[in-house]
Amino acid sequence: MAVVTLDRLTKIYDRAHAPAAEDVTLEVRDGEFMVLLGPSGCGKTTTLRMIAGLESITSGTLSIDGRVVNGVPAKDRDIAMVFQSYALYPHMTVRENLGFGLRRRAVERAEIDRRVAAVAGVLGLAGLLDRKPHALSGGQRQRVALGRAIVRDPKVFLFDEPLSNLDAALRVSTRGEIAALHRRLQATMIYVTHDQVEAMTMGTRICIMNGGRVVQVGAPIDVYRRPANTFVAGFLGNPPMNLMPAVVTDGPGGRRLRVGAADLDLPAGAAPSLAPGTAVTFGIRPEDVGDPATTGAHRAGVAVEIVQVERLGAETMAIARMPGLERTLVARIAGDAPFTIGERRTLSLDLTAAHLFDASGVALRPEG
Amino acid sequence: MGEAPAHRDDGLRKPWGTIVAFLLPAVTIYVALTAYPAVRTLWNSFHKVLPRRDEYVGLANYVELAGDEIFWKAVRNTIVWACTSPLVEVSVAMLLALALYAKVPGARFFRVAWFTPVLMSYVVVGILWLWIYNYDWGPVNAALRALGLGALAHPWLGDPATALPSLIFVTSWMWTGFNMVVLLAALHSLPREVIEAAELDNCGWGGKLVFVILPLTRATVLNLIVLSFIGKMKIFDLVWITTKGNPLWATETVSTYVYKRAFEWTTFDLGYPSTIATVWFVIVLTTVLAMTWAFRRREKLEF
Amino acid sequence: MTASVLKRTLLLLGLSLYTAFASGPFVWAAMMSLRTTTEIHRSHFALPFPAHWHKFPEAWFNSNYATYFGNSVQVVVTAVVILTVVGAMAAHCLARYRFRLNRVIYFVLFSTIIFPPQITIISLFQILVQYGLYNSKVGLTLVYVAIQLPLTIYILESFFARIPSDLFDAARMDGYSDWEIFWRVALPIALPAVATTIILNFILLWNEFLYAVVLITDEDNRTLPLGIQRFIGDTQEDVGMIATGLMIAIIPVVVVYAFFSEKLIQGMTAGAVK
Repeated sequence: MAVVTLDRLTKIYDRAHAPAAEDVTLEVRDGEFMVLLGPSGCGKTTTLRMIAGLESITSGTLSIDGRVVNGVPAKDRDIAMVFQSYALYPHMTVRENLGFGLRRRAVERAEIDRRVAAVAGVLGLAGLLDRKPHALSGGQRQRVALGRAIVRDPKVFLFDEPLSNLDAALRVSTRGEIAALHRRLQATMIYVTHDQVEAMTMGTRICIMNGGRVVQVGAPIDVYRRPANTFVAGFLGNPPMNLMPAVVTDGPGGRRLRVGAADLDLPAGAAPSLAPGTAVTFGIRPEDVGDPATTGAHRAGVAVEIVQVERLGAETMAIARMPGLERTLVARIAGDAPFTIGERRTLSLDLTAAHLFDASGVALRPEG
Repeated sequence: MGEAPAHRDDGLRKPWGTIVAFLLPAVTIYVALTAYPAVRTLWNSFHKVLPRRDEYVGLANYVELAGDEIFWKAVRNTIVWACTSPLVEVSVAMLLALALYAKVPGARFFRVAWFTPVLMSYVVVGILWLWIYNYDWGPVNAALRALGLGALAHPWLGDPATALPSLIFVTSWMWTGFNMVVLLAALHSLPREVIEAAELDNCGWGGKLVFVILPLTRATVLNLIVLSFIGKMKIFDLVWITTKGNPLWATETVSTYVYKRAFEWTTFDLGYPSTIATVWFVIVLTTVLAMTWAFRRREKLEF
Repeated sequence: MTASVLKRTLLLLGLSLYTAFASGPFVWAAMMSLRTTTEIHRSHFALPFPAHWHKFPEAWFNSNYATYFGNSVQVVVTAVVILTVVGAMAAHCLARYRFRLNRVIYFVLFSTIIFPPQITIISLFQILVQYGLYNSKVGLTLVYVAIQLPLTIYILESFFARIPSDLFDAARMDGYSDWEIFWRVALPIALPAVATTIILNFILLWNEFLYAVVLITDEDNRTLPLGIQRFIGDTQEDVGMIATGLMIAIIPVVVVYAFFSEKLIQGMTAGAVK
């Protein structure tokens, strides 16, 4: 149980022109499951490795429970880490792998045996204790790697993309196991991934990083609903949010937008009042674009041409072109929606769920 | 992860102490017993080096070397050796490897049996082949006589015309199995699909060999040729045990000549043999570099 | 069908002939080692009946074979042990740590593999004389370590470099020091490659002749290859006795080969396969 505080953590590698992580400030609360999410090279792994003590900190302070640990070696930080490649010792049995960290910490033999047995029971490894890692399946290796962390009962758990070597089905079940584990242990966990589904489903909060910097921190649904900028908007969600260039035109409340050839009047709850002529980015999630049959307040119809239809069974993705726009618009509609390619029709946008971003990509929030 | 390079530094400042501690023994041995001697040989080559006194002679040794007929004879012999033996070894090895690749029964036994010669020291091999080439009772002449070809029986190592080819034959006999094993491993690592694709493209065994197998094992083949070439440029033991460079310098190699000039001739001068060694070193280095440059893969092959 | 059977038979016949060619000389020598020279001169290719096993103890006791054999074991084993530890340390360091001179050191060591031995052997002779190590087993051992070091490091480095760095990170979080990471994680994992280099170095040094002939003259310090050469000189025309002597020299290699043929083949070819 611990609070991990990152204060303006920066890492600059030797002879690198740009910092790998820059001014990363984040507080991971006690018992929280914090997900560091971002694309390859965004600095999330570097940040995790600084927390672990595997990477030196160029500047900034890292503290655990209020104690600054910048200079404390990895082994003395009371942190356990689950690696992407599992990093099991191939020359040791499962039992030895599990007990190893404890043996290094001079825990008594009987106590080690007891804890190893307990963890093996929880993770279903009891029958595999005398095997070596090469005789295990990918999922079993993954569980040994988890077990090796749990058995130490550390203050903080770190995960470095632990599911990326598993196949799709196993990934889903292991995801559930880790989430259950977190609920049971109530421990502080920091989890690095580039997979937004993992982030959304497991995280208490998500910290989205890009280009070495923190972009947004918040509960998954908040981040999804209120992305701080176009990067987050385009990164979270599958398919991602539709983003199109727009200009504010003369209209009631300064909320009339020209998007391609269409004029849209945003409700006061969706956008602030802007001066006419302001260039903005208009964003709307695919699920907020639909069949005109679904009616409601603040829905606006736009004329489009359907260019592609992807039927996924439960739902259908319709990709449409709006007149006067290069970017296509993706709509998530019912599985049996009778759309055909080449068809010209109207799609309705739920403008209460619209997002606006300024020219630099930062979200424009409604007043009040 | 894209941000994790294959060789990662240790993070917590560069552990120079550890790096030095790990490398120090190896580097010390290397400097003391390889680098320093090599430099000293170069120094020797400009001197007359007698047991108790060195004397600077400038380029005199090099001038003498340029006119040293035995040296050039030795160079010629060694280069002939280094150019013929690898080709024989690797081509015979390829045939044998293909035979085993074609799933012949007992492939494992053949592989183990063919590999044996390379495990023996040149001393043992040399003595065995002295007997095999023996004029009176060696199996070669015995076989010729038995076939009624007694006229062809020959003192193989005693005749300047046949001595060198006979010894080259011995090295090829010795190393073919080694090359075969490496080539067989290369063949087994070829992607099955590519060979099956060639079958669908209507290639017979010959077609598969020329259009698929040889191009794909090219790197290994060239590697083996270079390796064998380097080995033959160093050849000493076999000659020393069998002919000592005789008859009439017909089998003299650079290595045996250096040894003779340094430790057998009563000149006691270590400067002149050092000059030979230096010149030979430059020749070997440039040919090997030239070979690697000429053989280097122009493009990476992706399976 | 019959054509393919015929082809197969011909192929097998050819391969068997080659097998006879490749291993025939040893079989012949092995047969002669059990026969007396008089028997041999009566018929050179007869089978060894009756087998004169007593020739082996005779060859062993009537010459300095025991000394030669003991010297070889002593020099080769010591050299291989040093090579393994020193080579593995350097290889681990070059594979794991990234620093400015890393590739330079690696390339310099590696390029030494193509050096002709003459470039060092004369000076090594001078140096060993200077330091009183000429004609000593210690001197020869050191030289053996030096000549095999580059290949050892080359083979081990390529194996160490394949160990995922996550494993070293995990070991560090478990509190291993740098030395322990090498000794208790990297080395055990690299055991197959280490075994390969041990076998390779053992065979190459067991058979080594050139450096031995230059650096050792004393009868008491001769290694086996030198001893055999000496033995021929002493027993000149006694073919049967020489054959026995050769067999004694080969036996350790044959024994190792009988038990570890795969590992040995792997070791010998390790340097050639990239």
